Amino acid sequence: MSRNPTAIYDAAPRERRRRSKNAKVITPGAGRIRLPRRVKRLQRAAPMYAFQGLNELSTRLRGLTGREVIDMNRVMGLMQFAYKQQQMAKRGPNYAVDEFGFDPEWTESLLPLFEVMYRDYWRIETTGIENVPASGRAMLVSNHAGVLPWDGTMIKTAVFVAHPQPRHVRALVASLFMGMPVLSWFLRRTGQTVGHPDDTRRLLERDQLVLVFPEGVRGTGKQYDDRYKLRRFGRGGFVSTAIRAGAPIIPVSVVGSEEIYPMIADIRALAKMIGMPYFPITPTWPWLGPLGLIPLPSKWRIQFHPAVHVEENPPDSADDQNLVMALSDQVRDTIQQGVYDNLKLRRGVFV
Amino acid sequence: MTPHVPGRVLITGVSNPLGAEVARRLATRVPWLFGCDVDDPVSALEEMDFVHADTRQSVIGKLVRQLKIDTVVHLAVMVDAPRGERVTHETNVIGTMNVLTGCAGPSSPVRRLVVKSSQAVYGARPDYPSLLSEDVAGFSPTATSVSRDLIELELLAHDFAVRNPACRVARMRLGYRISRETMLGRYLSLPLAPTFAGFDPRLQLLHEEDAADAIAAAALGTQEGPFNVAGDGVILLSQAIAIMGGQPLPILPPVGLGLSRLAIRSTTGVNLPGHLVELLMHGSVLDCSRLATEFGWLPAHSSRAVMDGFAFGLSEEPIESPSPPQEYELQVYLQRRRRGEGNGHGTASSLALSR
Repeated sequence: MSRNPTAIYDAAPRERRRRSKNAKVITPGAGRIRLPRRVKRLQRAAPMYAFQGLNELSTRLRGLTGREVIDMNRVMGLMQFAYKQQQMAKRGPNYAVDEFGFDPEWTESLLPLFEVMYRDYWRIETTGIENVPASGRAMLVSNHAGVLPWDGTMIKTAVFVAHPQPRHVRALVASLFMGMPVLSWFLRRTGQTVGHPDDTRRLLERDQLVLVFPEGVRGTGKQYDDRYKLRRFGRGGFVSTAIRAGAPIIPVSVVGSEEIYPMIADIRALAKMIGMPYFPITPTWPWLGPLGLIPLPSKWRIQFHPAVHVEENPPDSADDQNLVMALSDQVRDTIQQGVYDNLKLRRGVFV
Repeated sequence: MTPHVPGRVLITGVSNPLGAEVARRLATRVPWLFGCDVDDPVSALEEMDFVHADTRQSVIGKLVRQLKIDTVVHLAVMVDAPRGERVTHETNVIGTMNVLTGCAGPSSPVRRLVVKSSQAVYGARPDYPSLLSEDVAGFSPTATSVSRDLIELELLAHDFAVRNPACRVARMRLGYRISRETMLGRYLSLPLAPTFAGFDPRLQLLHEEDAADAIAAAALGTQEGPFNVAGDGVILLSQAIAIMGGQPLPILPPVGLGLSRLAIRSTTGVNLPGHLVELLMHGSVLDCSRLATEFGWLPAHSSRAVMDGFAFGLSEEPIESPSPPQEYELQVYLQRRRRGEGNGHGTASSLALSR
């Protein structure tokens, strides 16, 4: 070990040959077929050729029919999405999540999917986005409807897509869903957390946008006859938390989410048996199986109202139940009025 | 209240690796150091007097009064349950009760008591907030056996603090530590680790050195009450297994934790205690802000750094034949030097080249 490595070069050529080991010959593995270089080059360039061919086809078809048959922007978006997912798979364990389990990079890679739902499927019109601050803490409070929480997803997408300063919204979910497989993993990974006052306070202290649904499962479990009638807003706990954390409340009205799964009946006994808050019966669920999970393409409108500045109250007024309930009712009335206004602006349920 | 200056310190459970590290830190800081345990210490420390004493029998009272101990660091608390639930319960609850009765009473010279607890006191549940502050822990009917024991242990320590205002009690809730000996460490190093299907919990880890630093700081300080101690940041279970070079195998059904525990034991030989099985499903993360404000200190290693360190085998280098104390000290010294030199890899070649 202690022999000087340079000594070998001082020795005579013959000695050097004696000391040096035979080089190991590495033969290419027999298992894999070696493709000719030309085929390899073609393989690498295949996606580009496919894209060019598609582009050509698109131009021809436009010339023939006079309208856009294949939208090249869509194709580009799809390719970018596939590339991004490949990149996500490549990073292995080398990424960081925050203390709540939020992985922003991964969430942004999935956003194109939700953007398609936002722009093309529900054709969402968003108003008042300027009321959402570009930085700093704020609490978004919205009405809750639809059997599955698509409204939360769409509010998140709206703030990320329509806001000049894209921001991630962190929604609060019922602890019930945090104990469920797949759902708990997906919700945490995309930035949601448990609807617990401690968590709300911590998120607001980190200057995040927090989305709260004070109606909870009372809102999503509404039957179709009760659509657009807001339920009780709990005991106004969200107002206390906002006052303590010094965050303004931004009321949000969502119209359209009530029609995605029109709930005709609710089988309470079955729901209790499987540990769910409700078991919905819709025109498609459970008759069509997994196809019943496809939401109907209703027309949506989302309105962000001007902020209610609850943070101007002193922090100890968070314990004043009178004030808290008054503010809670004020927020609820704003949302309800916004829902009626937007219903009037909508021409029909599906147009 | 006058500030507490520790003069004569007794460490129970000094033979476990954490006890040895705490003793090494306190050896130079306090005039008199005593240690007691059932087993022989893994390392002999010149500054420490070692006594064979079992906390499960009421000998601590005599020891404390005879030696005029003013600070007791109670580390004889088991969280991993390697010797069965019966022994764990005896050690954690009965042992702590004996130590507390030994330190109680007007004739007791003890002014400072530090009790080791664990993150396991919380268990892991889906309805918990994402970060657990100290006041979340409490009795729960679904708690696993180790969690139940720890809750009882902390209640005993709390009662003791109320009844003996002259003695200041700190309960240190240490985060999960990983090494070749701990169950969590062994589980994470499995080449194929069975996980719960559809769950990817957040883990928070604590470095051995940070744990020892925290206990030593508590022994020298006067802070009272429970304290969460855990590394900064979190790491997902799938990330942790991937860093260790393994592959997560999501096959365990999300019902019946006891059955899953049996399944893990029979297929891999790792006997995870119930609270760790819960952890693999829901995860648990501590809020260490109370530690930061009262101690002005936070663990130096983040969860990610602990995991990386464990994966590269730098977290803990096994020390062979520790019989003579000088040799042990020498080995520790050399280890420190080697670690300080650089990346820790290829030390042999660098020595050969420098010659």
